[in-house]
Order: sequence, then C-alpha cells, then structure tokens
Amino acid sequence: MKTKIFQYLLIFVALTFVNTKSFSQETNLKNYKIRFGLSTTKQADNSRILEVSYIAAHKKDRKDRVPVFDANINFYNVTADEEILLGTAKTDQEGNAQLIVPSNHLYVTNTDGYINFKAAFDGTDGLDYEEADLAVKDVFLELILKEVDSVKTVFFNAYTLDSLQTKIPLDETEIIFSVGGMISKMPIKQDYTVDGSFEFEFPENISGDKNGHVDVFASIIDNDEYGNVIQKKNINWGINKNITIETNKLWSDVAPIWMYVVLSILLIGVWANYVYTIKNLFNIKKEGKELELKPED
Amino acid sequence: MDIVKRKTELVNEFSPMLEKSTKTSKIWISFLIFIILVGLVAFVIQAVKGHIVTGMRDNVVWGIYIINFIFFVCLSYSGAFISGILHFFKTPWKNSISRIVEVITVLSLIIGPIFILLCIGRLDRLHFLFIYPRIQSPITWDIIAIMTDLIGCFIYLYLTFVPDFAILRDNSENAPKWRQKLYKTLAIKYYDTPTQREALHKITRTMSAMIIALAIIAYSVLAWIFSLTVQPGWNSSIFAPYFIVAGLYSGVSVIIIAMYLIRKFYHLDHYIRKVHFMGAGAILLIISLLFGYFTFSEYFSRWFSHKVSDIQLLDTLFTRYFWEFIFANYIGVLVPVAILFFKKFRTIKTITFAAVVAILGLYMNRYLIIVPTLESPYLPIQDNRPEFIHYTATWIEWALSFAGIAAFILFFILIMRLVPIIPMSGIIDYERDQKRKPKGSNNH
Repeated sequence: MKTKIFQYLLIFVALTFVNTKSFSQETNLKNYKIRFGLSTTKQADNSRILEVSYIAAHKKDRKDRVPVFDANINFYNVTADEEILLGTAKTDQEGNAQLIVPSNHLYVTNTDGYINFKAAFDGTDGLDYEEADLAVKDVFLELILKEVDSVKTVFFNAYTLDSLQTKIPLDETEIIFSVGGMISKMPIKQDYTVDGSFEFEFPENISGDKNGHVDVFASIIDNDEYGNVIQKKNINWGINKNITIETNKLWSDVAPIWMYVVLSILLIGVWANYVYTIKNLFNIKKEGKELELKPED
Repeated sequence: MDIVKRKTELVNEFSPMLEKSTKTSKIWISFLIFIILVGLVAFVIQAVKGHIVTGMRDNVVWGIYIINFIFFVCLSYSGAFISGILHFFKTPWKNSISRIVEVITVLSLIIGPIFILLCIGRLDRLHFLFIYPRIQSPITWDIIAIMTDLIGCFIYLYLTFVPDFAILRDNSENAPKWRQKLYKTLAIKYYDTPTQREALHKITRTMSAMIIALAIIAYSVLAWIFSLTVQPGWNSSIFAPYFIVAGLYSGVSVIIIAMYLIRKFYHLDHYIRKVHFMGAGAILLIISLLFGYFTFSEYFSRWFSHKVSDIQLLDTLFTRYFWEFIFANYIGVLVPVAILFFKKFRTIKTITFAAVVAILGLYMNRYLIIVPTLESPYLPIQDNRPEFIHYTATWIEWALSFAGIAAFILFFILIMRLVPIIPMSGIIDYERDQKRKPKGSNNH
C-alpha cells in the first residue's frame, strides 16, 4: 500500500515538471489568422514605396496581434505575360517590409493604364505561402505656392498620363492639404478636385520653424484607384520667425514685478519692526542710564 | 508684596539650576560633547572625500540631511508660532512653558540650516546664492525667510530674557565676575520702571504678532521648495498648510518631551504641573487629528487621480516602504490619538509617550516625502546600479544627524545654566496681576 502511495506521489511530482507551455503554444497557433496586406505610396520625389504588413491576428482577441519577423517578401510588377521582380525586403519587428522603387523606374501598365503590383512570401515549414496584389494608376500631383495680390495661395493640379503622354485631370478626387509638424502632419484643408485642380488661401496663423519655413503637403490617401500619393513643398509662409521669450514666469530671467513688490513690502514691514524694536531697547537703556545718574532718593 | 524681596527669593530658588553641576549632568554633558566630536570627525571625512561617503547619489540627491533640516526648521517655526500665540493672547499658563518654547525656537533655527549646508556638494559656491540671487526661486525665498526669521527670533528671545537678566544682575553678588558682567551687559540697564516695563511689553507683544506671521510665511516657503516642483509626491496645493500642521505636531510633541525631562531632572513639579501636560495633550490631540486628515487627503487625491507617476510612487510606498508607511501614517497618528482621546489614558507619562510616538512618526513621514519620491524618476536612468536608485544613509550621515541633536540638547542645557527655564519676571508679573485683581477672580 505504502509503495503504491509512493508511486502515485512520484507520478504527481513528475507531472508537475511537464512543460505546459509547449502545449499551449501549439494550440495557440490555430487561434491566429494571417493578415498579409500590400499598400503603395507615391512620394513627393516620384519614388514609390511598396509596403507589406504581415501579421498573425488572434481570431477572438483583437488586441492580440503577433507580427511575423524576418520574413522574405518579393515585390513584383505583374504584366499579362510575366512577373517582373522589383526587389526583395525582409519584415521588421512590426511585421512590415518596405521596398522603395526609384523615381526613374519604368513600370509596365495594363491596357487600362493600371500598374499591377504583387507581393509574395514563399512560405517556410511553419508558415504557408502568402501573396497580395494591388492595381493603381500612376498619378502626378503639382503643388504651386504663390502669392497673388499679397494673398498666399495654394494651387493644386492632379492628373494621369495616357499612352500618348496626354494629361488626364483627376475629377472628384479627395485631397488633403496639411503642414508638417514635429510629430505628425496637421490638416489645413480637405476637399475634392474639380477638373483636376483646386486652389485655396493659405492660413495666416501657421507656425513655421525658427526661420519661418513650413512644409506644405498635398495627399491622396487610401484611394482605390491611386493608392497613396503625396506631394510636398517647403516655403517661408510660417509665423513665429522670431521666438519671443515669455516674461513673467518663474523660469524667466527676471522675476515678475508683483513678486518684487510683495517681497519688498513684506521685508520692509518686518525689518521696520525690527528697527522699531531695537530703537525701543535703546530708549529703555537710555532711561536706565538716566536713572543710574540720578542721586538715590 | 515686596517685589525686590520676591525677586531675591526667586533667584535663590532657581540659582541651584544655574550653578549646580551634578555628577549626572557632567556625564551627560561629556556624552553630548563626545557625540558632537564624532559628528565633527564625520564632517571632516565628508569635507575631504566629498559626498561619495554619504548615501546620496545622482537620483536621490537629498537624504536625511534635508529631512533633519525640515524637521528642525519646522520645529523652530512651530515654536515661534506657539510662543507668539502664548504671548499675544496672554495665555494663563504660558509662564511655565514659554521659555522652553522660545529656546527650542532659536536653537532649532540655528541647527536646522547647518544640515542644508551639509547637503550642498559645492560649498565653495555658496556665496553665489547671495551674489546672484534669483528672486523667482523658492530657494532664495527660503534663505531670506530663514535669515529674517532667525534674526526676529533672536530679538524676540532676547526681549523675553531682558527682565530676567535684570533680576539676575541685581541678585548675583555671589556669582563669578564674568557672569555678573554678562548679566549687566545683557540687562541693558533695565530697572523694571513702569515706563521701561510698558515699553518692553509693547515691543514684545508686537514682536510676538510678527513672529506668528513670519512663522506662517516661512513655513509656506519651505513647503513651496517641494510643492512648486512637478515631482510626484511633492507637487501638491495643500503642502503649505500640511507643513504648518506637521510642524505644529512636531513642535508641540517636542515641547511636551522637553517639559517632561526638565520637570523630572530639575524637580520643577511646582511650576510644570499636570494641568500643563493636559493642556498640551489636548492641543496635540487636535493637531494629530488635523495631521491625520491632511495626510489622508494628500495620499487619497494622489491615489484617486491615478496619474502614472503618482501610482508608481504609491506602489513604492506600499511595497518597499510598507512598514515605514504604516509607522509614519498609521501608528504615528492613531497611537497618539488613541492615548489622548480617552481621559483615563491621559497621564503625564502617557502624554509624553504619545509625543515620542508622534515625533518618530513625523520624522518617518518626512523621510517618506523625500526619499521614495527621489527614487521614482520620471525618465529611466541609463546606469541603474541599485545604489544609484535606492538610498540608504551611511554612518557619516547618522553621525552628523545625532551630532545635530546632541548640539541642540547641549545648547539647551547651557542656556538653562545662564537663565532659569521658568521666567522669574513672568512669575512676578503674574503675582503682581493677582494682587491688583479683586479676590475671587483667580482662575489660574
């Protein structure tokens, strides 16, 4: 009986040493869904960013997202006949892989004028093959900043080119105008193009850098036809060219006037009382001296 | 009443206190001098080797020196406050304790600022504070406040001493020559004539009112050194009144302890009576309740606001400093309240015990205000060696702290050897008033 109890005890202790984590890891993988997305951004210098986001997201817990790190992603320009490799990039710790295609690259378009992109992950023993594709038109943005009758005015044109290199204006496309900031861009205008153009008066109260320079951006964001397109110009239209030093602050060079006044009143009041007290002490001493000099009655 | 005869009687009654040196008092004084000498050795080591011999580092730049500074300076301000109130409102039983309070006020205001000097790494640049003062800096306000208050307290203490110096001058024929000369100089030819008495009473009363106002201002300035910063645990709008209440709490406690010791060792049961302890105990009860209320308010609002830095500080207080927190804010408040609240618990010894617990609790409260806050930096530090983050006082700091306490007690004893701790002039004034009043109006 004693031996049996000892055996049960031994089995129980042995079970406590079993690594339960390895089980949970296997089980957990089934709970995740792979998200493999491709996006593109045409930058102000006409170069193009192709970006893949590769993330394993928990099916139930939306907050539980595990980025796939160090995965090799191939980016292609897809034509009717072939897939032209544009380059390869690895995913970072956030699960993002980015490829910047230079501005002078000539893309092959389809008959409708769309550039077809494809991003693919070849897969490993643990992860399956993944791919995503995207078709965008190549858009050109013109941003002209000009003072018209002393009014700072923003002129904007957006167009595509057809096979004969003729400009085709973008109609009813949403444009966001913003200025650059330290942390993010600040929108100043949001509207739609009319015949590929738009113009508005630049606000007067925008802060610039120490020289008054400000970055003005015109952006098409998440457009189904054009993706992300950004144009940027730098101009001396910002205010705060000279940073004025605030006064009347504890950390300023000179204390505020009220502080001098209050402190002076307090100190003068107190010290005047000290002087008055000492003067009275001298009076007491003087009276005592006179008493000593008087002949004793 | 023959006043001259009564003065001589009082001098004869108190002269043993001034002249007698018992074996116990000699041993006690030698012990205090020894502690001060150890403190001096510690000071020399610190001066030669620098602050590396202390527990203060890059993060915790203030340690027990600043706690001692706050403790002593608050003690002084509360002494000035209480003394001013006793004089200004002519409290009936002020005579027995007023001099104890006045001496505590001046001595703690002399010793307190020495600790701030020990805190300064570059003492050679101390004069810059005076050459390039920034009026907008609370540190400058504090220097001005302490200096003004110190001079004010000295003048006030001297005013209350003058009549006694005069009595001692006229009745110290058998005293040593130096003592006679000293009394003569300090008595500034005061002969207690009606005009002299009236002038002295008038300026003492004005100074007592001034001292109350000064104490409140100086207290607030001291609190603002902390509360005007954005440090968690310090940035608080109630810090100034909180410091005033905390200072009064420590002040009344030290007065009770001093009353107990003086009564016991100088056999002054006739002058320092149970009624004085009961009165002081009642005041301590009210202040302990107020202090508890302020402490609760302070921590409750921090906890409720749930700011990241405040929560980090509270976590530290409730983990690493758990027992210290319990002692400072629970035992240090609730034990005195429990003792003083019930009449049957109120005896001279229990009231003194409550005062000792209050003092220790309050010292720990100060420690928890300073050290855990500095141990909770806003930004993560790069070199996070434990000794950089956590503070522990070294023997040098303890030696200098105890030297400060020893110096306080030693100077107190020496002042008691110079003038009686019970103001003789006060006794005469009281008896003179009683004689003037019609019979039956004695409510003392």
